[in-house]
Amino acid sequence: MEQTNIIDLDEKRDFEVNSSNLKHVRSFCREVFEKLNINQELKDELVLAIAEAAQNIVKHAYNNEQTEDKMEIKISVSDGHLEIGFFDKGRPVEKDKIRHRKIDDIKPGGLGTFFIQQIMDAVVFKEGEKPWINHLILSKNLNN
Amino acid sequence: MTYKVTEEGNISTVHLDGEIDMDVTEKAKEVIMPLIEAKKEVHLNLKEVQYMDSSGISVLIESHQKAMELGTKVTLKEISKSVLKVIMMAKLEQILNLD
Repeated sequence: MEQTNIIDLDEKRDFEVNSSNLKHVRSFCREVFEKLNINQELKDELVLAIAEAAQNIVKHAYNNEQTEDKMEIKISVSDGHLEIGFFDKGRPVEKDKIRHRKIDDIKPGGLGTFFIQQIMDAVVFKEGEKPWINHLILSKNLNN
Repeated sequence: MTYKVTEEGNISTVHLDGEIDMDVTEKAKEVIMPLIEAKKEVHLNLKEVQYMDSSGISVLIESHQKAMELGTKVTLKEISKSVLKVIMMAKLEQILNLD
């Protein structure tokens, strides 16, 4: 088994799906990552990746419409492997349509997915198990 | 996010403060865009911006493009370390006017 000095953890929280809750998503992540023995730069990057994914749920799964639905974010670390799960009940994600814009195509928008892919090792979309519709998994090896 | 605007000649400086995410981009645009439309040279002071995500970066791109279109200029001033990192991640350091 890989040796790591990063503690294992498993924490989840739900948030109402709206843009005003993105700051609470960031606070939750910062609170969790504070427990991990990783550098501040990496913590900031991970907060950005999670906030971008949460923003995509508000923007795309719910089309920025008002809802009482909640999304759930689960952060787990085991043997230095970080896995972040996002669960929502919005419109099903059309995996084929997800792509970040070309980075040399300078225009507003489309950068969130690019940031997520830059920061994380893997991004996987799955069909959510009931009651969820979408399940996104971001993962990264923190031992590197 | 809070802001303060100061004027000196044809230069308007917008001092932004706090975290810039999707929730505040409209507010940021409402402050910045009229200055650009008035053909002011706009300085965005980002010293007190502790966090900016892709939505905030979109505001910077949109402001820059609008200014170019109208023959004026947006310059980013005193960029905080965290914002600079996101600008560089988006590979915009050669596109936007950084000072």
